[in-house]
Parts: sequence; structure tokens; C-alpha cells
Amino acid sequence: MTGAAHVMDPKWNEDLPIYRQLRDRVVAMILEGVLADGDALPSVRNVAAEYRLNPLTVLKGYQELVDEGLVEKKRGRGMFVTDGARVQLLKDERQRFQDKEWPLVVATIERLGLSVKDLLKDVGTSKPSSGSRKGENND
Amino acid sequence: MTSLVSARNVSKSFGALRAVDDVSFDIGKGRIMGLIGPNGAGKTTLLKAVLGLTDCQGSLSVLGLDPFRQRRELMQNICFIADVAVLPRWIKVSQLLDFLQSVHPNFSRDRAEELLAQTNIKKNSKVRELSKGMVTQLHLSIITAIDAKLLVLDEPTIGLDIIFRKEFYGNLLRDYFDEERTIIITTHQVEEIENLLTDVMFINDGRIVLDTTMEDLPEQYVELMVSPDNADKARQFNPFYERDVFGKQVMTFEGVSREQLQGLGDLRAPDIADLFVAKVKGEAA
Repeated sequence: MTGAAHVMDPKWNEDLPIYRQLRDRVVAMILEGVLADGDALPSVRNVAAEYRLNPLTVLKGYQELVDEGLVEKKRGRGMFVTDGARVQLLKDERQRFQDKEWPLVVATIERLGLSVKDLLKDVGTSKPSSGSRKGENND
Repeated sequence: MTSLVSARNVSKSFGALRAVDDVSFDIGKGRIMGLIGPNGAGKTTLLKAVLGLTDCQGSLSVLGLDPFRQRRELMQNICFIADVAVLPRWIKVSQLLDFLQSVHPNFSRDRAEELLAQTNIKKNSKVRELSKGMVTQLHLSIITAIDAKLLVLDEPTIGLDIIFRKEFYGNLLRDYFDEERTIIITTHQVEEIENLLTDVMFINDGRIVLDTTMEDLPEQYVELMVSPDNADKARQFNPFYERDVFGKQVMTFEGVSREQLQGLGDLRAPDIADLFVAKVKGEAA
């Protein structure tokens, strides 16, 4: 058993197909910097064996990433993170936050009558690290 | 889909008991099929017919062969792990390898030794000196070293602890399975194999009550958890099974789209164990 197995021993969520959750997991790994541009993804066979998934499920998850341009297939060598994938993902994540999450946050702040100044006083003081983004992509 | 196993109106009776009753199905290559059924449903009889260990009525073709009449030819390309440990207790691991090498044309001794090297099994050990988990590991290693097209597993992990069970299926996917091969598995621990299947078949009283792919299943079946005030509305869509979970009704529907049920409660695809209970109890009702 490799160490990676324990990092992402998955509890599959019943509401989403597993291939989709695999795709999300790889995206999170790219965002967290666990997978860098040009890195190889774990082989379909290994992921299937590690999590006891049908290989077609794994392949379908990887195919989603290929379709999104985040991962490329190299013949006979496997799947690799595309150059610029992380930058692209960060851009998408920022956009998604601004479009989808931020309006909800603003609405909550207004509804609860919170002070924006008080809320912001600690922002930026914590040391930014790759770990601080953990969980951002979970839901 | 090229059929590896093709059954048409297959039946098998023992006296008055129809153990397998007019069963038809196909399994293609590169598939992993779960055969699910209660004790005495006819699973083992059906598998025996597929392996040519028993004759049957109707037409059955496995790798293009008649399993009962051409069993010798068939045996070169299929493998089987049964729910009973069949390795003789007195044999040494090295003797077992010698034996297989001499009788099985598709057995690779190098491959078997390579696989055994990853375990704690010593070649000079006798089978009776090995733990139950190790005997299963040994069995899987020699089976994996046989270049077979079809592998039949009848309750392969019975009596094993959870670590061995996980390893068993992991090794099966890592070392054996590929798109040219086919696996048929029966087990009562459905939740352990659910995610590795491509196809699922339910059998009850010798008859097939469900035969579908895991991909199509969420579209064919849906489970609705409904609050009491919406229950009657939901019943208009004819659920074939209902159960009570913490004061809410859970209804299982076949062939009803999610759009139709939208707004009546929480929708989800049933897992195989729940669907099996629904199918078997729903039919009896």
C-alpha cells in the first residue's frame, strides 16, 4: 500500500457519481499543489485497485479532466497534468467564488448586520500557504 | 457487445425443484458481473452450468463452447475460485506450482512466483500451515498466473477479515483484470464489490429478477425519501417497494424519471443491497 492511499482514502458521497468525485479529487490535488504541471496521474489500474473501482469508472473521471484541458493523454505513457492547469483552475475557482459564493456571503453579511470592517480585520494576517486552500473545492 | 457467455432458456431441476428456471443472459468481454441472490436462489447451480460442472436444459455457450460437452477445452481458458477451499492441505506450495506447470498449458510459473514473492507465503510451506487468508492469497496468485479469459468467483472472500478482503479485490484489479477478460462474482458482501462491477444480475428462486449495467441502473431505478404529506402524491407513480426509515417513507421506483418525482423529497440512486431487497420483497408482495 502506498502512502497516497491514506491521504485520499475516499468516503464516496452518494449524491454524485464516483467518476465525478474522482475528477474533483484530482482537481483538488492540482489546486493544493500535490500534483504539479507535467506530473503523471496515478495509473488507471492502480487507482482502480487501490479503491476497488471498476477501471472504466476511473477512466471516465480522467476523461472529464482531459475534456476540460487539465490533463493530457500521452500515448503509451499515461495521463499528465497539462502545463498551466493550476493557473487555469485558480482562475476558474476565483471566478466561481466571485459569481456564485460571494453574492451569498454578501447577502448573509447584510442579513446578519455584520460589520465588514470587523470581518476583514484578520484577513491577510494569516500566513498564506497551500494548506489554506484545503477544503475550498470540497463542495 | 461480443458475448463471452450466452445463455438462452437455461434450466436445471433437481427432482421437483427448479434450481435454475428459464434463464437467459449475455456477458461480454471486459465486464465484471455481480451475481446477487439469497441462499438457495440458484447462483451456484448456474455457475456450475457455466463451468460445465453440471448439465442443463436450454442452450449455454461459454467462449463459444458447450461447457458440459467441451469442458476440457473450456478449462484451458477459464478459472474458478469456489466458496470452499479446494487446495489439498498436505501439498507444499512448490509442489502445487510443479503440478500446475505440468497440467495447465496456460499457467505461467514465473508469474505465480512473482506474485507469491509479494506475500508472506513460503514455497516450502504446506497448505495446512497457512492461515485462511494466506490460502486465499495463494489461490488467487495461481489463478492470476493462468492466462484465462473468464474468471468465476463464488463467494471468494468468505471468512476473510476486512484487510484480506480489500486486498483480494485490489489484487484482482491490479494483477488480473483487463479489458480482454471477464469476471463473474457472487457474494453476500455486496457493498464491497458494488463499485467494481460493470454489470449486475439478481437471481431469486432460480429466476433472473434484474439484469442491467451499473451505468444504466441510476436511470432505471430511483429511490425517493418522502415526507408523510407528500407520500400519497408519490404513490401515484407506483413505487414497487416502500420502507420506513426514521418516520419517513423510502419508495423505490422503476422506469419513473427523476423529473417526475422532483420536489416530492430527496432523490437518489439506490445502492445494490437496497435495490435487491426492494426487488425481492416487492415481487413477493
